[in-house]
Amino acid sequence: MVCLKQVPATTSEKRYTADLRLDRAASEAVINPLDEYAIEQALRLQESGAVESVGYLSMGPDQAAEALRRALAMGGDDATLVTDPGLGGADAWATARVLAAALDRIAPDIALMGMASDDARGSLVPGAVAALRGVPLLSYGSELRVDGSVARVRRLTADGFDIVEAPMPVVASVTDQVGEPRYASLKGIMAAKRKPMETWSLGDLGLSPDDLHGAALTRVVEVRKPEAKPPTERVENVSADEAVTRIADWLAARKLA
Amino acid sequence: MGREIAFLAEFVGGSPTHAALELAAGAADLATQSGGSAVALAYGPGAKAAGSLGAAGASRVVLLGDDPSPAITHAAAAAAAAGELEPLAVLAPATPNGRDLAAALVGLLGLPAFGPVRAVRIEEGRVRTEQATLQGTVITVSEPTETAPATSVVLVLPSTFTPREGGSGSAAVAEAPKAEAGPLGKAKIVESHPAEAAVANLEEAHVIVAGGRGVGSADGFAILQELATALGGAVGASRAAADAGWVPYQLQIGQTGKVVKPALYVGCGISGAIQHRVGMQTAENVLAINKDPDAPIGEFADLFVVGDLFTILPKLTAEIRRRKGL
Amino acid sequence: MTYRPTADHDELRAVVRELADERIAPRAAEIDATAEFPWDLKELLAKQDLMGICFPARFGGTELDNISQAIVVEEIARADATTSLIVLVQKLGALPIIVSGTEEQRSRYFPRLASGEWMAAFGLTEASAGSDVAGIRMRARRDGDAYLLTGSKRFITHGSIANLVTIFAMTDPAAGRKGLSAFIVETDTPGFSAPRIEHKMGIRGSPTAELHFDDVRVPVANRIGEEGDGFAVAMATLDRSRLSIAAQAVGIAQGAIDFAIGYAAQREQFGERIADMEGIQFMLADMASGTEAARQLTYAAAAAVDADAPDLAYWTSSAKLVAGDTAMRVTTDAVQVLGGYGYVTEYPVERMMRDAKITQLYEGTQQVQRLIIARQLLRRAGVSRPAK
Repeated sequence: MVCLKQVPATTSEKRYTADLRLDRAASEAVINPLDEYAIEQALRLQESGAVESVGYLSMGPDQAAEALRRALAMGGDDATLVTDPGLGGADAWATARVLAAALDRIAPDIALMGMASDDARGSLVPGAVAALRGVPLLSYGSELRVDGSVARVRRLTADGFDIVEAPMPVVASVTDQVGEPRYASLKGIMAAKRKPMETWSLGDLGLSPDDLHGAALTRVVEVRKPEAKPPTERVENVSADEAVTRIADWLAARKLA
Repeated sequence: MGREIAFLAEFVGGSPTHAALELAAGAADLATQSGGSAVALAYGPGAKAAGSLGAAGASRVVLLGDDPSPAITHAAAAAAAAGELEPLAVLAPATPNGRDLAAALVGLLGLPAFGPVRAVRIEEGRVRTEQATLQGTVITVSEPTETAPATSVVLVLPSTFTPREGGSGSAAVAEAPKAEAGPLGKAKIVESHPAEAAVANLEEAHVIVAGGRGVGSADGFAILQELATALGGAVGASRAAADAGWVPYQLQIGQTGKVVKPALYVGCGISGAIQHRVGMQTAENVLAINKDPDAPIGEFADLFVVGDLFTILPKLTAEIRRRKGL
Repeated sequence: MTYRPTADHDELRAVVRELADERIAPRAAEIDATAEFPWDLKELLAKQDLMGICFPARFGGTELDNISQAIVVEEIARADATTSLIVLVQKLGALPIIVSGTEEQRSRYFPRLASGEWMAAFGLTEASAGSDVAGIRMRARRDGDAYLLTGSKRFITHGSIANLVTIFAMTDPAAGRKGLSAFIVETDTPGFSAPRIEHKMGIRGSPTAELHFDDVRVPVANRIGEEGDGFAVAMATLDRSRLSIAAQAVGIAQGAIDFAIGYAAQREQFGERIADMEGIQFMLADMASGTEAARQLTYAAAAAVDADAPDLAYWTSSAKLVAGDTAMRVTTDAVQVLGGYGYVTEYPVERMMRDAKITQLYEGTQQVQRLIIARQLLRRAGVSRPAK
């Protein structure tokens, strides 16, 4: 019996767009966009029969329940939310500690996460969770497959790709190359309301805030504006030859050509 | 009492990666601030010869493994080495392998983690890092808390440090303390597929000419390659171009691709959406060529040229060659 | 009448908006420029279960309440009015069967309509019978266990791409209104053709067709209700379908406002952003408050339809009247806010203005809506109808 669980991270920073049109990611993002790829990969594995069930796990404030419902609307069977006031401001290690404890209770064959590249908190979680749980890590997969008792990823390298495998249970992370995440259909949204969702606190996991070192081992000491950049020099409404001369002069002045 | 600065040094095909050389130089600088020395934690094919890192800034080398297994399988050895050395910081490159190993150290040893940082220094015996957040609109300076363990893991962006030139000397290589590889050691590479054509390593390129949706086809990229060659650089791409199959994915720059910091970045037919921008916004000089005068890239480029790349690029390539006397 | 959009309504709105912003809005300009029906978007809407929102679950639909249905149409129309017609007309074409059809007729056709495999259209209007429904000339002659339909319909939305059209024809020309009957016609029946498509001011991607019936054979089992019920069926249909038009108009207006605000926040003249100028702020405020009023009236009408209120026609007519006029006013103002840029096709507001106009014309012109509303008002006030 193969069972897959997955971990959408909590929603994080809003994204601003350069143009003014509403960016759905900025205003309405409920699931971290990179985690949507993990969800899509999990659902594809379920549809192909490679795994039997798909569940979701998230750690965060109540809003994370919305993310879990949206994931369930895309597909999958059940969801678990870990929420506790002691989790505010959790850093990579604390997040990994909590997720690992929850995953140990759920004991899935594959704990699947989206690749996060923005900050340490996101990108270190898969590896830290694997280390804490004592299971192998298959990371940055552009495709995830299951073959008997083994999980396998296609992992891009500097100049090609490797196929990396490990015996399950594993922790895996996938990139945005697994394929476009599906939209939640209306029937999916309606079905999601009836799918089971459990809520756990730190106590339920046998953890206390002290175990998490007060949730963060790092702190911010200063926030400042970056150095001001000179305004953009624009070249427009000139002939191609004139533009080329201006560019070449600009490059020469900077000793770039 | 001085503290060591350790750094991950990945070897590929018998040579250190550019990231390893950058971190060697960086670790050496930090070591003078911490009163200790720079120690390489070397792994990957060719790591046995990591003594060569002595010329790059390392005082000594701890060999985690010389085989081509995935980086993460060396986690237990790295943790054992870190346990013995008790470095003030372990520097890791912000690459997939670097992140994996760094993550394993965080999990195994419960360490504070920073980054990816654009600067790191030691102040009053503590690690202090700088990170650009919120799409580069804010610089955040961080340090470990008082009660945190004494070793910090620091993910470092490419081109934060510059490799030393003309160094010499060799560092002593010692084996890592014996450690069971453990479950993390169970991942294995079962197939390896190098790309047919050699793909330039964008993270090391001095000049990158990148193409986006506006290039329109794989053939269109040939024009960019001509310019890149004339400038002594490499070709990169936005995700749209990679998704369209015009270039291999290894050339993708951006949030889910590579983060680059060349001296010159030329964006051709690239709108400059945030997902791409985060991959190149720290380039020293940004030149953009786009038909659309309102393209977002026009807001953060140093020089923005509104025009047709198919007309401008060939002429520019010819002009650069002419000026070089070629 | 009490109603309050719930958290479920908000979630539905968010989901449809995401779909509309990502997949429908980028296609809007092209659909308008080429006047091509967006089959890809129809497939997308079908896949997302949005074609079945008015059909019962036992037929594969999702049976949403009318406020939810209004939200779906509104959010799609905000991105593109043409695409919103895909969902809207599916309901319009099916409504005669929904209000007056037999369970047998429903089970025969609703599954394919709910899944979006088949498309529906509503065929009432003729060249000389628009507002004056009693002027219909199409004939349905009884022939054994079938009827033979002969005549033409005009201005039938999606008539040329529908698999099923609900058609209104005279079984008894001498009886005036009482001689009208309703039928379900499968368009692959011999004798049916759609020879002409109109070139229109707006909603250009939606094919508006002229339909010809040349002794089209329709089995008795496809007659909706009894002979002579046609007028009542048509009115019951329009009383409900015009709610969708109101929602569409609200969506069009909202799309125009959102774009105008974005533009005003960025456009600088005389050294300041136009969004900071009172003249523009007054316009935007009027646009927004008018749209919100139309939206709330639309939801009140939706609640009336859900409750099957006896005066639901009064509510839906009011909503359509207010929303249609609001959409025309708001989109015109949006063009004004953009100035010269509002007039060119590079920006979407001129298309929105052209699209908005139809909401004042179809499914009962604004003049007809006023007649309906006035009739209700006078009846409530006890004013009797004039002797004729």
